[in-house]
Amino acid sequence: MVFNSIEYLIFLPIVVLLFYLTPQRFRWILLLAASCLFYMWFVPQYILILLVTIVIDYGAGILMERYADSPKKKKTIFVISITSTLLVLFVFKYLGFINDNFVALCQALGLNVNTTVKIILPIGLSFHTFQSMSYVIEVYRGHQKAERHFGYYALYVMFFPQLVTGPIERPGNLLRQLHEEKRFNENNIARGLRLILFGFFIKMVVADNLGAHVDLVYEHPEQYNSWSVWLAMVFYSFQIYGDFFGYSTIALGSALLMGYEISDNFRSPYLSRNIAEFWHRWHISLSTWFRDYVYIPLGGSRVKLGRWMYNILVVFVLSGIWHGANWTFLLWGLAHGLLHIVEKVLLKAKGNKEIQYQRLRIMLNLVNTAKTFLFVTLFWVLFRATDFANMKAVFKGAFTQFDGGQRLAVEPSLWLFLGLFILFDILLKDQRFDRWCQGKHAVLRWTVYALLLFCTIAFSSVNNFPFIYFQF
Amino acid sequence: MKKLLIPILVLAVLLVLMNWIYAAFFFEKDLMAHSELVTLSRKAATDRYELVYLGESSNKTYGHKDQDKRKISEMLDDELPEIRCGDITKEAAHAEVYYYLLKNIPKDNDIQTVVVTMNLRSFGANWINSSLETALQKQLVLIKGYPPLMGRALLAFKAYPIHDKAEWNEKAKKAWAKETLAFPYPFPYKTTAEWNRSIAKNGVNDSEGNQSKALTELTAHFVKNYAFQIHDDNPRVKDFDRIVKLAEKRGWKLVFNILAENIDKAEELAGPDLTYLMRENVAYLTDRYESMGVAVVNNLEMVRDSLFIDREWPTEHYYQEGRLTIARNVAEALR
Repeated sequence: MVFNSIEYLIFLPIVVLLFYLTPQRFRWILLLAASCLFYMWFVPQYILILLVTIVIDYGAGILMERYADSPKKKKTIFVISITSTLLVLFVFKYLGFINDNFVALCQALGLNVNTTVKIILPIGLSFHTFQSMSYVIEVYRGHQKAERHFGYYALYVMFFPQLVTGPIERPGNLLRQLHEEKRFNENNIARGLRLILFGFFIKMVVADNLGAHVDLVYEHPEQYNSWSVWLAMVFYSFQIYGDFFGYSTIALGSALLMGYEISDNFRSPYLSRNIAEFWHRWHISLSTWFRDYVYIPLGGSRVKLGRWMYNILVVFVLSGIWHGANWTFLLWGLAHGLLHIVEKVLLKAKGNKEIQYQRLRIMLNLVNTAKTFLFVTLFWVLFRATDFANMKAVFKGAFTQFDGGQRLAVEPSLWLFLGLFILFDILLKDQRFDRWCQGKHAVLRWTVYALLLFCTIAFSSVNNFPFIYFQF
Repeated sequence: MKKLLIPILVLAVLLVLMNWIYAAFFFEKDLMAHSELVTLSRKAATDRYELVYLGESSNKTYGHKDQDKRKISEMLDDELPEIRCGDITKEAAHAEVYYYLLKNIPKDNDIQTVVVTMNLRSFGANWINSSLETALQKQLVLIKGYPPLMGRALLAFKAYPIHDKAEWNEKAKKAWAKETLAFPYPFPYKTTAEWNRSIAKNGVNDSEGNQSKALTELTAHFVKNYAFQIHDDNPRVKDFDRIVKLAEKRGWKLVFNILAENIDKAEELAGPDLTYLMRENVAYLTDRYESMGVAVVNNLEMVRDSLFIDREWPTEHYYQEGRLTIARNVAEALR
């Protein structure tokens, strides 16, 4: 089931109503059943893959706690659990890609190899495997007690608001809350509804309408002039942000209707002044996952410069591959990693000089923000391109077709929606829409609600744009 | 309670206001952009048709050797010079589409007679699960008669079946597996799927006795398109029933035009078992709708194999003589 569907608009109120009518001790059953239904709406049999991961990691948690006094056994269980979870990810996400490359390599060497691997990636696999792994790692580290109740553990992995595209939750936040008794709270309902409305607006009005233009150019970049290609590149930056931020916001709102506070995933990322800050504001739950479970165990920044560069590149390349089994994603991760290193090295060389004049400081911040946005936008081409040929064609279009090609026609309303989105992003820097509304006068609040609701209904795209992160 | 009542009240007022704004300023533009087939319904009223012929591609498809390229509806118009005939033609349309097209004909019209194409294949799983259905259903959302804002909300939240070609195929396969076939004599296959599998397994021989891939595929197409039995719960039957009620309500004389199928080819390829089902289905439709007071024109066996244009799969696309036969039969029923 997708959030921007009529099915979800019926499903969610029913689940929320039943949730508050059900006694606390039975709520896990309701939520688990709802989550299964939500997931099975896509392809029912994929739930078996999810079940395998859940059973392995649930068992591993209990066993690791049982053998807490035997580090060797504990580590063995940990390794088995992580390996099996990664194996599931590898088989369903990367096996086809590796096979294709192996075949291409063999053919390049003149060998007659022609194996094909056709495995469909179950929706949200990368998200729930990472969430499941975070539990195993936390239990292994002793930061989290093993969950004894299978239902609660399964619900932690499968909680429907964040099941298919995150935010990737940690047991310390979500698992803890699932055990708490949530009472009906009007304020949570109001905040949840605000977030859902805001999420719908961003996804359906901004991202999807931008997507229609982006698709036109990316399908035939050679037909458009450079300005149009640049416009499509900028539009894609906002499309992917609106798409993912919108989904995360609806997820947050849906969970909040039942009193669950799940983690923020975005904080105005395009207002970042450098790439490091961007990654503190973009897909936060994934960035912090890699920080806590890969970057810091590798030594983090408290190592020699060369080793630190290596750590950064490993994290960013892994992050790239996490997104998809394609060389373009790997290159995208690598580009971010390299820019991160260059910026850090330049900053170090410059020293820690404080700029005295406020105006100059503001100007410099603006320039840095524009520079970061420019790089991120350029890198998104690697992310959006279907393959290297498409990527090359887009870059060629962006830099060499100033005199020829057609102009991308953009209706004025799209500029208005994009402007509204950017305005909200600036207004909401470091705070969430639901909290921003709370302090405002009722007339202003209701005007905003009416505007968002009207735009969502009257101006949302009628074309079907699946959430971009569903493919991961 | 009061705390909840005020926001609900405000929201209700806002929705009414928004509906008015949307209907006044945006609805028409959306109709033209996403449900442009409503213009066909409007044209029937503005062009003052007295008879409107509703059809799909069968109405307008002609063959390369045709001298006479007129549509069936144009031929009908010439057969009935005293009546102003017009058509509403939409490719891949079926009863549900016809129903909403008729429903959207403005009240101020001169229509006295409505001829609705009844395509036998459209009752089968192959057409019900056609990949064209996503686009067709999307076009219907805004013209289903909801308040404009609600219609737009349903369109925004994709209240229509969205499937890609593979998913539609899968749905059709499941339907064939469930489609049980009842004959008054022993028949080796319980379902359409079983029959189809047998054709694929055993193949079909050509006139020289050699197994022919082309003939095997064509036979499979015929079985997939005609091996079913129409029951009261068939979605098309329900839609034709709605058309009957709508015609009654609006005082239109109603004619159901059962199109000719390539019964010669069906018999040649799949034998009398398939033609038995085709004839049974037509008998069911004729009995059902004649008992409701509808004039049913049965063209099932009126066009011979040589007058069918498509040779690689079954369609209702006829050369000029075929189209003329259909038009004359309809005209005869109206005289």
